[in-house]
Amino acid sequence: MTEAIYPQVRIVSARFLRPDTAEQLLNRLVQVGGILRMSINGPSIPETVPYGPARGQPNPHPDRKVIRVGDQDVQLRVQVGTIILELEDESYIPAICEAVDEVFAEKDFSCAVQQGRYMKTRPTMSDYAKYGPDADREILGLVDPRRKDGPVIIQGTK
Amino acid sequence: MAYKPQYGPGTSKVAENRRKQMNPSQKLEKMRDVTDEDIVLILGHRAPGAAYPTAHPPLAEQQEPDCPIRKIVTPTDGAKAGDRVRYIQFADSMFFAPCHPYQRTYLESYRFRGIDPGTLSGRQIVECRERDLEKYSKELLETELLDAARTGIRGATVHGHSLRLAENGMMFDMLQRSVLGEDGIVRYVKNQIGEPLDRAVAIGKPLDEKWLKAHTTIFHSLGGVPYRDDAEYIEYVQRIHSLRTKYGFMPKE
Repeated sequence: MTEAIYPQVRIVSARFLRPDTAEQLLNRLVQVGGILRMSINGPSIPETVPYGPARGQPNPHPDRKVIRVGDQDVQLRVQVGTIILELEDESYIPAICEAVDEVFAEKDFSCAVQQGRYMKTRPTMSDYAKYGPDADREILGLVDPRRKDGPVIIQGTK
Repeated sequence: MAYKPQYGPGTSKVAENRRKQMNPSQKLEKMRDVTDEDIVLILGHRAPGAAYPTAHPPLAEQQEPDCPIRKIVTPTDGAKAGDRVRYIQFADSMFFAPCHPYQRTYLESYRFRGIDPGTLSGRQIVECRERDLEKYSKELLETELLDAARTGIRGATVHGHSLRLAENGMMFDMLQRSVLGEDGIVRYVKNQIGEPLDRAVAIGKPLDEKWLKAHTTIFHSLGGVPYRDDAEYIEYVQRIHSLRTKYGFMPKE
């Protein structure tokens, strides 16, 4: 949640991605560079069964796994469906489109790259009520700022 | 002239499929073989081979009150034996699943006896006596009403019917009860509430896109039959809507 207006893009695939495809795509995006913030969205894959008679039992799920992006391990908690990026400037967008096309060239479904505003620009009343005045504005609106494990920081080349 | 049910309006292929599924005199196409034991495993209500737990003594052993309705209605096998009431629940993907919640309730009401269906936007549950449930489940699982990839047998945590499909064509399931194997066969590795099974239960290969589009009962404006293209269906729904709205004002005609 920064003051300056940075361009944002959203990468939406027509199907949910397998962890290995997501890993491949994210690594390709990291190579392009120029990414300030990134959020991976999709339906949640919980660690334990959330509802029903089996509530609380472990939920082994092959798609909930650790992938390697850049030089960091990332624990996937969702089935990847959308990736939101905040970029340094607009000059990176064509390279991102190219990277996405490259990854999805052999797939039998498409993937779109859209430009717009996808991250919150200021905390809402509910954010203030839930997280208080000192919530981390960098990740507010992307993930729950009260989570103990913070964001994964992938070191750039600059 | 004897009453002949029409089952539903519409001139489109989707409407025709809906009527076909609802009409009990039309035999549903059998697509796969699922054994009785497999069904018991997926349902997860009792261990395979175990006796049916009962909710009350068999009807033959208990005194029935003198009731004219009980004389007319023959009890189902499950009711006769005093079985517990148990359920099966389905989630159907919006991407051309062969059946969908309202349709399920309609067709079950036409085809089965002694059931209590519950219809929701993304899932449909049917409750009945355990013995009957297993018989009905067999029909629901083995026939064209189920697609291995786009229909989920989900007792809880049903989320996924309106989401994009996964890369391999499976409907999203946060508990991943069914897994598409390397050999193209879908296997249930958990029962309907998400408890791991001792052995995987195979329910066959997913049906291809062409078959699904020809047999779906879901109108879909992207790639399928759009609802607006079926003028007769629209006219019928508008008539019902108009009549029930007017009835709210108690018109004097």
